[in-house]
Amino acid sequence: MVTTGAAVVDRFSLQLTLILFLSVVVVTLFTALLTAPQRDEIGEFYLGNRTMSPLRNGLAMCGDYLSAATLLGSTGLVALTGYDGLLYLCGTAVAWMMVLLLIAEPLRNAGRFTLGDTIALRLPRGQRPVRLALAVCTLAIATLYLVAQLVGSVALLTQFTGEPSATTRTLCVVVIGTIVIVYAAIGGMPGATFIQVVKAVMLISGVTVTAVMVLHRFDWNPDALLAAAADHSGEGTRFLEPGLRYGASATSKLDFFSLQLAIVLGLAALPHVMMRLLAPKQVAVLRTSVVWAMGLVSLVCLAAGVLGLGATAIVGRDAIAQTDRKGDAAVLLLAQDLGGGLLTALLSCLAFVTLLAVAAGLTLAAASSLAHDLYGEVIRKGQAKETEELAVARLSAAVIGVLGMLLALIAWGANTATLAFLAFAIAASALPPTLVYTLFWRHFTAQGALLSLCGGLLSSVLLVVFSPVVSSTPSSLYPSADFAWFPLQNPGLVSIPAGFLLGWLGSVLTRPEMPENYADFEVRTLVGIDET
Amino acid sequence: MSRHSLGFGGPPPHPEATPPQAERPTVAHDPAYLSLRHAHRRFGVKATATAVGGFLLYVLLSSFTPGLMNRSLSGHLTLGLALGLGQFVLMAVIVWRYLVHLRTRVTPVVRGLRGLARHHEATGGGRGPAHPEPPAAPYDRGYRSW
Repeated sequence: MVTTGAAVVDRFSLQLTLILFLSVVVVTLFTALLTAPQRDEIGEFYLGNRTMSPLRNGLAMCGDYLSAATLLGSTGLVALTGYDGLLYLCGTAVAWMMVLLLIAEPLRNAGRFTLGDTIALRLPRGQRPVRLALAVCTLAIATLYLVAQLVGSVALLTQFTGEPSATTRTLCVVVIGTIVIVYAAIGGMPGATFIQVVKAVMLISGVTVTAVMVLHRFDWNPDALLAAAADHSGEGTRFLEPGLRYGASATSKLDFFSLQLAIVLGLAALPHVMMRLLAPKQVAVLRTSVVWAMGLVSLVCLAAGVLGLGATAIVGRDAIAQTDRKGDAAVLLLAQDLGGGLLTALLSCLAFVTLLAVAAGLTLAAASSLAHDLYGEVIRKGQAKETEELAVARLSAAVIGVLGMLLALIAWGANTATLAFLAFAIAASALPPTLVYTLFWRHFTAQGALLSLCGGLLSSVLLVVFSPVVSSTPSSLYPSADFAWFPLQNPGLVSIPAGFLLGWLGSVLTRPEMPENYADFEVRTLVGIDET
Repeated sequence: MSRHSLGFGGPPPHPEATPPQAERPTVAHDPAYLSLRHAHRRFGVKATATAVGGFLLYVLLSSFTPGLMNRSLSGHLTLGLALGLGQFVLMAVIVWRYLVHLRTRVTPVVRGLRGLARHHEATGGGRGPAHPEPPAAPYDRGYRSW
């Protein structure tokens, strides 16, 4: 690899990162192969080990939930924009509250393998079109988020080698994509769980240790950290006040609110996160796992805030912005300053493993939805044999992985955060309305679900197409064109209410479902069954 | 979180003690179930509204009343930053209240209702789960360490 001027990391830590990353990959790949479901049972492929301890479950959930965007992107945002960046981290933690309070237990009680199963249980009439719509939404969200992860791997590589050549770029995406496919297609959920736990342990310990080092540098005095951050930000105390990033006008303030809404509702509805909730056999285990995950997610978010402030305070905002305009280099620059090559190598390896783990979880979730909802229930109408469905699941994992790689190679210059936020907006508009209505609204019908899923997906995608993300500003995809009549970059503020409204409208206008159906479903969500 | 006035923390209802139902006996008409449903849903709505609503309000306050949020509390710690940390404290309190709510009000009732549901199924009155559970046999074998 050629080292050019823009690289952050020296030769020693580059080699160390490579060795560390390869050892993690080799160990996890072997474990994935060893723990792979050998008896061709879909239950084990989709849900993995259902008797894991709450702590391990919680670690796996935390691993699924926190992507490299949190580690690199959000810390970078804190380093560049101070207060506004801290709000992102807060939103990430609040989103898990939605899972904990509303979704986790009812979904687990009424669920089987996918969200489609829960909805089919609630709306047995006309379940096939709903499953089809759900599979399409899941595929759209998962692919977009997968592309964001793969594009992120190229961005991360840039930190090491400077602007990568076309060959290096392709090689990076293809290698990461292939490893992801092997995890998902061969390892199934047991393999994905293992790498998720490994990654979560690495993430939590790495981030906490670095945050402790930052605090130690400032003698455990938060005020000194804040003062140093404000001094080195070039903005003075403006750095610790809201509005540095989104304070320009009322439109940008609304844009920020829209983004937060999408994060709070969308993160909780990401398909790979919901799939993980179905695994525990006992409700009590699920409850403890979700609470563990809540604590771990909060810890990582708080530590990431310290890292971001520390990066500005120690490295300086100008140095961070010069290395990478989006701030993704903040953590690595900080590590270089605090712990030299060793810490840099550890954190870079951590970032790659994080990418890999989230991408594997996403591929698996999308593959399960395709195989179980689309192939098993829509195409074969529930007649498919387990071995057959499993083969389709493995094949879909490979297809989705290849699709993600191709899209990532086309879109490699795109901003990782923009892609991820788009995925959150689509997830928040399409899935939560259906999920909330299914679980809690007596008069919800299949037509309402169909309308809300399709409407949420279409409205969010269309609003993005006609937003400044695609045209009219220098940083958009087509800077020269101008068809952006929608002023906000984040469509959530409009498309999320639209999804809820359409679900309500569709249900009111159509023949209601049988009332006993909901009564039975509700008993099941509340009372549940513990499988022994 | 205020305590709920609906008291049903007592002993779980006995299967025999339920009033006879019109056509098919289900847990859905059991008074203990109905009050559990009401209280649980009310708690869920209140807790979610506090956590998510509180956060969204904080975002709006930060955007539209910067003067208030920039008021210094001590040193560089502004009201806005303190409220941000406060969100985490609020979440911890809600999680704690939620666990207490589940332990004292939900779990005992649910345990009783499960017994009741099994009783209904055994007497042949209740409808089984609409979705057949996956066969239990595959899960019986020992798992590897993961």
